[in-house]
Amino acid sequence: MNPVFLPEGPALVVEGRLRVLVVADLHFGAEAEFARRGVHIPSNSAGRMERVRSCVEAADPDLLLLLGDVKHSIPFTNRQELRELPAILAALRRLAELRVAPGNHDAGLERFLADDELLPKDGAVIDGTGYLHGHTAPAASLEGRLLVVGHHHPVVHLHDDVGCALRAQPAYLLAEIDGACFACGASTAPTRALFVPAFFELAGGLDVTTIRASRMSPLSRCIREEGAEVFLSDGTYIDSLEGLKRTAGESPAR
Amino acid sequence: MRARLDERVRGVIARRGFSDLSEAQEQAIPPILEGRHLLLIAPTGTGKTESAMIPVFNALLSADGAGIKALYITPLRALNRDILARLQWWCGELGIRVGVRHGDTPQNERRKQALNPPDLLITTPETLQAMFMGRRLREHLRTVRHVIVDEVHELARSKRGAQLSVALERLAVHAGEFQRIALSATVGNPGTVARFLCGDRPHALVHIPVAPHLEIAVEFAGEEFAGQVKTVATRLDRHPSTLLFVNTRVTAEALGHQLYGRGDVEVHHGSLSKEVRIDAEERFKRHELSTLICTSSMELGIDIGHVEHVLQFGSPREVARLVQRVGRAGHRIDAVSKGTILCTGFDDLAESLVIARKAKANECEEVVLQHHAADVLANQVAAMAVEYGELPLAAARDIVERSACFAACGVLLDEVCRQMAVHRLIRFDGERIVRTGRSRVYLAANLSMIHDERKMTVFDIVARRTVGTLDESFVVAWIHTGAVFITKGQQWRVLDIEEGGRIMVEQAKNARGELPSWEGEQIPVPFSVAEEVGALRRTRDPGPYQADAAARAYLAGMVGRIDAEGLPLPTDRQITVEQADEGVVVNLCAGHKANEALARVVSSLISARSGSSVGIEVGAYRIFFRLPPTLGAHDVADVIASLEPDHLGPLLTLSLKRTALLKWKLVQVAKKFGAIDADADSTHISMHRLIDLFENTVIQREALRELFCDAMDVAGAAAVVRDLREGRRTLVTGRLSILGREGLFSSKDLVPPPAYDQAVIGTLKRRLARDHVVLCCMHCRAWKMKTTVERVPDVPECPVCGARLIAAVKLWEEGAIAAVKKKTKNEEERAAEQRMLRNANIVLSSGKKAVIALAARGVGPEIASRILGTFAEGDAFYTEILKAERNYVRTHRFW
Repeated sequence: MNPVFLPEGPALVVEGRLRVLVVADLHFGAEAEFARRGVHIPSNSAGRMERVRSCVEAADPDLLLLLGDVKHSIPFTNRQELRELPAILAALRRLAELRVAPGNHDAGLERFLADDELLPKDGAVIDGTGYLHGHTAPAASLEGRLLVVGHHHPVVHLHDDVGCALRAQPAYLLAEIDGACFACGASTAPTRALFVPAFFELAGGLDVTTIRASRMSPLSRCIREEGAEVFLSDGTYIDSLEGLKRTAGESPAR
Repeated sequence: MRARLDERVRGVIARRGFSDLSEAQEQAIPPILEGRHLLLIAPTGTGKTESAMIPVFNALLSADGAGIKALYITPLRALNRDILARLQWWCGELGIRVGVRHGDTPQNERRKQALNPPDLLITTPETLQAMFMGRRLREHLRTVRHVIVDEVHELARSKRGAQLSVALERLAVHAGEFQRIALSATVGNPGTVARFLCGDRPHALVHIPVAPHLEIAVEFAGEEFAGQVKTVATRLDRHPSTLLFVNTRVTAEALGHQLYGRGDVEVHHGSLSKEVRIDAEERFKRHELSTLICTSSMELGIDIGHVEHVLQFGSPREVARLVQRVGRAGHRIDAVSKGTILCTGFDDLAESLVIARKAKANECEEVVLQHHAADVLANQVAAMAVEYGELPLAAARDIVERSACFAACGVLLDEVCRQMAVHRLIRFDGERIVRTGRSRVYLAANLSMIHDERKMTVFDIVARRTVGTLDESFVVAWIHTGAVFITKGQQWRVLDIEEGGRIMVEQAKNARGELPSWEGEQIPVPFSVAEEVGALRRTRDPGPYQADAAARAYLAGMVGRIDAEGLPLPTDRQITVEQADEGVVVNLCAGHKANEALARVVSSLISARSGSSVGIEVGAYRIFFRLPPTLGAHDVADVIASLEPDHLGPLLTLSLKRTALLKWKLVQVAKKFGAIDADADSTHISMHRLIDLFENTVIQREALRELFCDAMDVAGAAAVVRDLREGRRTLVTGRLSILGREGLFSSKDLVPPPAYDQAVIGTLKRRLARDHVVLCCMHCRAWKMKTTVERVPDVPECPVCGARLIAAVKLWEEGAIAAVKKKTKNEEERAAEQRMLRNANIVLSSGKKAVIALAARGVGPEIASRILGTFAEGDAFYTEILKAERNYVRTHRFW
């Protein structure tokens, strides 16, 4: 496949025989949850929808694939979501054919989706590429392929000789996945995962250099750090993961 | 004058043992008896409280009916205890009912007051806010005829005071106009403090100068702590009761530790528990202790009995502070207060001499009111919404604009209300303010403008134990995974931030100097003091100053060492820019705030030019810039020389973006607007992106205004720049001098490059520099070498044959080199040879630039050629490389 990076999302277009626009971790309804936790801001659902719309316009995809955590509150659906979700999903359907790989925050989402829209939560293969939210172990059918994964909200901090020059930029992490992740480990081709950043603009992020150590998901535990690479949301190659870890741990140049 | 007092009052005065009234009492009592508003400025120990209260008691004797008649407002709870004791005595004698109400007052006491209010209520500004929330208490406030504000100089300069000034106007709506009396320590601008108290109302001003009552000596105590302790001990031996003032809690504890052995010394500061403090105060009063080591907590008038002498360890930094501290000493009213400053170093001694001179000459610093503080306005709008349920904007405007802090605030009030509505703290339709369900909850948690810091625990995952706590604002402003900070003298790297706010860390060694801090405790040295210190360095004339022989000898010795160095001397007329190991020191005698402003502007310009972050550390006499190895003193000097005084303000605003200092302040202001609750749980929310939402709102404007008011002196910085341009100051570069090395910095921050692209380009530059490359001579084909791009010379040359036809290939292309050496090649190998020749030709014509381009991902000879063909230089060159790499990522089939 060929990737097209849309930094205004951040979103990713996977170009094969099909054009698939991937949008991960939208977290609609988060503002209501924030209010419960003491942060009071108005809902930005309209603004977020507008960003999705503009990505769809730019990408002109065959499929719009929501890579999980479309909604926010666990385990139920909160009032804001109940109010907004049907309209949001309807609007998304009007933009393009919809597919949803459900995430850990998506319990209860099924009732708003058509049968062929909902993908299995441990992943599905579309046009040769694997897609899953990333909170579960991947299905066997995904082995040996390139997997597009959400859930981890990867970010990168850029350091220079003096200090942190740019903090928490949404980032992509491309890494090989250890076969131990799969039940039978039958494939000879390596499995690779492309961890994509969250679309939700206020999502807390996980530093790419700490994703494996965080052990936050079965996939994260199987990341092979040698050879892993980090990209910005516009496709700029930043460095190898090892290069980044080295820079972060370095003493001052003098 | 006594004849005008009720005879019962005269009788009590006699019983109290006042044979004569003090100067303050003589001058203040008549206008207060006449019912005028009055500001009394007098040193401690002049019977200020009685000056205000005697005439008020007089009035209370003829007042009847229920309800509170007089409010005595004091900023600190500790004062309540002493004032209460004194006033209780007076009230007992006169039959006036007095009560105390503050945060610690027990519930049953509060209820009693609500049912049966005292005539005189002693309270704090925060509790006054709370009283407006209760219907019954509001009723009792209707009968207030006198308000006395103690320590008004402390309140006038702070947001707490701005909040109080609005509260007084709100009170006037309930009670009608009441008499306003305020008690103040010495300030440089009494008129401003009077305006703070009374707004536009006519008032009387009584000013008892402090200078004739002060005797200040300045002595040198040694450069090393051990010697300083010995000197302190010797001085303590000379006096039976001493207050030993220090500037930080850390110093208080350190000295206390050394002096405990004497058996008659105790430490007293704000971090200690109330019981510990009260115990120390009582024992000192009873002469069981002869020395109290204290910080500014003891400046305010807590009664500890007789203090014979005041010692100040280290420069007091501000004239007002010296005057207040020394003023604690003295036998009785109107006697002379004696104090000694014990100095700890060269700058410290010079500074102390200057401050002592200014104290004797009555040159006290001016108080600056918080002008149009938007978050105070938000807090009070919320308070009025709760008080009234709903009220017209015009009514709110009437009230707030009567306060000097919000006079003519205009559309700011509308903006504040609109912003509050965004965060659902009130409902606002442009004309009416209506409370919401959250208003009351917010108010209960935000009675005070003092920012209540939530602490987050720091947990070492290796040793599996807690290592300390961090303030929440600091965490939001600075901490992210991978960030490094110092606590308990150790460096720690953040691995994770848990749900619920525990910060998981591991020890870090030799991490970069990117650790911001700003010492809330440290008192800034004012511009005029720092400038005069600079003049003293230049003139070396101790004449106008009270220096004893030992101090003069020390000064002369230091001056000798400085002169012997032969380096340019930083003074009030000369700025030196000195090259140090990790950066550059600028010696500028302009005080903390002006230096902070200049440091930020200069570092942001350097960062914009170079694309690198710049670290800053700021003190009163020097600024340290932490720079990448490619920049040095000349670069800094160039930037300083290029500054224009009028541009400093806007540049400073820009330079604050994305710095920890601004984020820290934004969170505090946002909390007052109800955007973030005091106990909000912010894990899993990107707080620093949340803060971005406040850009261009009144929240950000207030954060900037407060920083400009309290932390940075743009006018002072502009004056320095103007002096430079007009030749009154000179700028010289050189190497690190003795004075430059004496770094004592109280604030540190990191200024990142202003443009996102620069940070990305910086990363690219460093990655390419570190990349491995194999150089291969395509002329003799007999030489190859593996190295890194940064080590490649500007014009690569073959050491074997001297040719410059060198190919620079990536590590994984090394195989092609073997192919190139063969005598007979197949088609593939010939193609490889062609590629390498094209590669070498580019290196031949463009040198190292070509090597850099060829190291980029997916860039071979064709693309390198194109990039070099644009003749782009510097950042633009790297931008071209970035574009090429991005294109490779997009098109290459390695996915």
